[in-house]
Amino acid sequence: MNSNQGLLSSGLGMVMRNKRYIFWFWLLNLTLAEFGTAAFRRSAHAILDHSFLSDKLMHSFDIGVIVGLLQRPEFGQTDSMTTPAFFFGFLFFLFTAIFLPGVLAGYASTYRLPREDFFRACGRNLWRFIRIMIVAGIVMGIFAAALIALNGAIVKKATESNNEVLPFELRMIGFTVIFLIMTTLRIWFDLAETDTVLNDQRAVRKSIGSAFRHTFRSLGRLLTAYVASTLVAVAFLLAGLSIWMNLVRPGSIIGAFVIGQITLFLLLIPRFWQRGIAVSYWQQHMLVPVAAVQKAEAMPVAEPPAPVAPGPEPVTVVSALPSPSQETH
Amino acid sequence: MTTRWKIALLAICVLGVAAFVTRKTVTAAPQAAAPGKAAEAPTAPGGEVSIPDTTLAINSPTPMSQRIVHYQIDAKYNAPKHTIDANEVLTYHNLTGQALDHFPFHLYQNAFQPNATWVREAKRDGSRDTTYEHWDPKEYGSEEITSLEVVGQGDLTKNLQYISPDDGNKDDKTVVDLKLAKPIAPNAFVQFKIAFHEQMPETQARSGWKRDFLLGGQWFPKVGVFWHGAWNCHQYHATTEFFADFGVYDVKLTVPQNEVIGASGVEVSDVTNPDGTKTVTYHGDDIHDFAWTVSPRYRVKEATYQSQMGPIKLRFLMQPAHWDQVDRHEKIIRESLDRFEKWYGPYPYKTLTVVDPEPDSAAEGMEYPTFITGGTSWFMPEGLHFVELVVEHEFGHQYWYGMVATNEFEDAWMDEGINSYTEVKVLDSILGKNTSTINLAGMTLGEREDQQLSYESVADRDAMAQNAYDYYSSNSYDGITYGKTASVLLTLEGIIGEDTMAKAMRTYFMKYRFTHPTKEDFLKTIEEVSGKDLRWYFNQAVYGSPVFDYEVSQVDSYPRNWYEDKKDKKEPKKGAKDETVYQSYVALHRKGNFVMPVEVEIKFDNGEKIREHWDGQSRWTRYSYQKNAKVVSAEIDPDHTLQLDRNDFNNSFVVEANPKPTYKLSTYWLFVTQWVSQAMAWWAV
Repeated sequence: MNSNQGLLSSGLGMVMRNKRYIFWFWLLNLTLAEFGTAAFRRSAHAILDHSFLSDKLMHSFDIGVIVGLLQRPEFGQTDSMTTPAFFFGFLFFLFTAIFLPGVLAGYASTYRLPREDFFRACGRNLWRFIRIMIVAGIVMGIFAAALIALNGAIVKKATESNNEVLPFELRMIGFTVIFLIMTTLRIWFDLAETDTVLNDQRAVRKSIGSAFRHTFRSLGRLLTAYVASTLVAVAFLLAGLSIWMNLVRPGSIIGAFVIGQITLFLLLIPRFWQRGIAVSYWQQHMLVPVAAVQKAEAMPVAEPPAPVAPGPEPVTVVSALPSPSQETH
Repeated sequence: MTTRWKIALLAICVLGVAAFVTRKTVTAAPQAAAPGKAAEAPTAPGGEVSIPDTTLAINSPTPMSQRIVHYQIDAKYNAPKHTIDANEVLTYHNLTGQALDHFPFHLYQNAFQPNATWVREAKRDGSRDTTYEHWDPKEYGSEEITSLEVVGQGDLTKNLQYISPDDGNKDDKTVVDLKLAKPIAPNAFVQFKIAFHEQMPETQARSGWKRDFLLGGQWFPKVGVFWHGAWNCHQYHATTEFFADFGVYDVKLTVPQNEVIGASGVEVSDVTNPDGTKTVTYHGDDIHDFAWTVSPRYRVKEATYQSQMGPIKLRFLMQPAHWDQVDRHEKIIRESLDRFEKWYGPYPYKTLTVVDPEPDSAAEGMEYPTFITGGTSWFMPEGLHFVELVVEHEFGHQYWYGMVATNEFEDAWMDEGINSYTEVKVLDSILGKNTSTINLAGMTLGEREDQQLSYESVADRDAMAQNAYDYYSSNSYDGITYGKTASVLLTLEGIIGEDTMAKAMRTYFMKYRFTHPTKEDFLKTIEEVSGKDLRWYFNQAVYGSPVFDYEVSQVDSYPRNWYEDKKDKKEPKKGAKDETVYQSYVALHRKGNFVMPVEVEIKFDNGEKIREHWDGQSRWTRYSYQKNAKVVSAEIDPDHTLQLDRNDFNNSFVVEANPKPTYKLSTYWLFVTQWVSQAMAWWAV
């Protein structure tokens, strides 16, 4: 097994051992989206439920009926449908930021992290995560804006060419480059977040600095692992849409809902996988031994969680995450 | 075909035509369309001129139109500078019945100047080509008459004066008026010799250049139409296009040798010049405009279609990246020709050139006589029928514009709208009623739905019967001129019957082809063919802007003995007939001001159906029934003929709600919402 496979498999192992996190995030995602789409549903019910015209929707995805529906004044402004959806989408992002430290702690733990430890990790790291997100937002925002502007300029220049396909090709190449660069930045901040949680690092600038060095020290490995997991996400999405379009009957609402939700559930896995990769990398390369590491290494990670020894015994974790009883300042 | 054979064939044609013309003409011996001498004035031995009655470009032994004009143009295109220098000889036959002392000319390339009316309107109302957020010098166009001589009256260049009959815009130079030294008597001919210089803009309004491509449309000084006792020569507006007299065109185009060229009419010669250029000559009969295109990168496919009047040479000029779509273009042209000839009348021309213009060129989707532009992209799945839609639409203009040459400035609906109606009919028959625009991955859209949707949002803005340049906005122009007209005529089918409507359309085409019919000519034809007085409909639909919207406003059933104590009632046993008598009400409401008789179908839970007819005169009506059955649904327009109804959702009411369609849409929207929020979380945290 090479080191990349090690990262991928150990990261995936963490995801598989903690499937409940994906379930809860999917449930959160679904619940918030249900609220986000309530306005749409309410307006659509009022117009469609008693009209024969809506039958056309059951036989195909009739664009004419949908556009007609959206044009109806009584349906409301499009903004009134999209704004709640965006708002609840933003809430999902916030909840992700809040609960992620608990997930990282759970991944690093060799035992099933108790609920109180999970939320303790979330609470302890909330402000740190906000600071990292602000830095990440600034850095990634600047890079994204600059790269998109550059790509746009190149594509615009390419439109002067007689080769009609050239702008598209350049745009795709540009998107690929942007994706790789943004993924690199994501790795950087994923490692920073991981380090902050697992190292209990209050000074997030240190985590950011350390993550920066490690990102570029092991860029090939990390980027390959992240790209591979992203490709898995793309495969999940394409497979889900393909099954939806080809196997689900136009009138089957349950079929569409089930396939859609399975696809969305599966789409969560690659991102959690990336978190697992970051945790795994952190354990292998960024862990600062603060406790008896040999003891931890002696314990197989996949073993069922052993009871935590009380008292002054070294904690049986492969991270420097403080045990529930420890308090660092 | 080799040049030698072309010359031999042309010589035979010229001799034949000359003999034919000499035999027919007594008072003046007009010059036949000798391709090699196309730009020479058709001067008779006695000094008189006339309009040739050539038939080189049509599958008819005799001219099909009353020919008023003969244009002979010798133009040279400077490709690097995008300029044209040309000499034009215009022979005009005064059939107005009165002496003419002045002639207005269109100079439409002057529209593309910052203070011109076209640009002002496009900036104010928006245009499909450009927003004019800032002025780009490449968008500048100009058309300057450098000299103008009237044969027998000398050089009258100084008599030219720009006029702006529509809006008084002194900065608009799209119409120039020429005051003659002496009037032209009725039935006389007059000949203008015009030299002009033109700067073509980067494509706007489907004319101009893009990269190394050029579409020469609206490109030469063109005389107005003397119509209903006055000259009709409008300025160029952002929403207007054509109106011109029929005649003969002989056009020599000198372009760089590497260019592939296409144009209106038939090609009669192609001569290579020693200076690196070539001169290609075209001849057109019974047409009222002439357009051409060049690009060094066109790939060409030629084919023949056997029409009712003879063979038509189909020529497809394709972008290299779209070559795999050439068969789609050909297929839709063949099928459109088939439908139009069967339903409306024959296509008489010998050629049809289909141009796939430069991408992003604002030259897509345009019609000129025997010459159209399509529009596609390198990625165009078969299920997206936009190629078929635009090619069919522009082909349809060969009938509704090309032959039935209405005044598009004043009655755009007769051109674009009637064409949109026939587009719906043709595409429905070829691609399916519900799938004629999109049929991809479970998504469907029919062309008639598309037309209806485009009109719904602007239904109360404008009437169809008004000047094209007087619409509230370009959106309103599009929605009313295209969408409403198509919907009005589809609704009319429901009133007079589909077969009668088809007969009326054919009658209208055959009666008015190669003329300039008015809106009343069209409307009266429908009344005559149907044998019905339809003024009540036309006054609202064509001349007015009332909104058409009927709804089922109430459906209610309850037991007639509802007041009796429920305890005394016995529930019918399972399977037993329900003996309860129900009192039911169904109310209809006319929400808009458009008054129209409508049918309503009421269904009961015992399977019984009742159809009621309501004249629609009052604001509402109510039907009541006493039956052993409850009403389950009521539907206005159960045969779905009222395409004009602005809101089809409220045309029916089903008592028992069916939430499935909403659930289905919600499932899709839920998926999108979840996916977007996941993506946001993926990158942001």
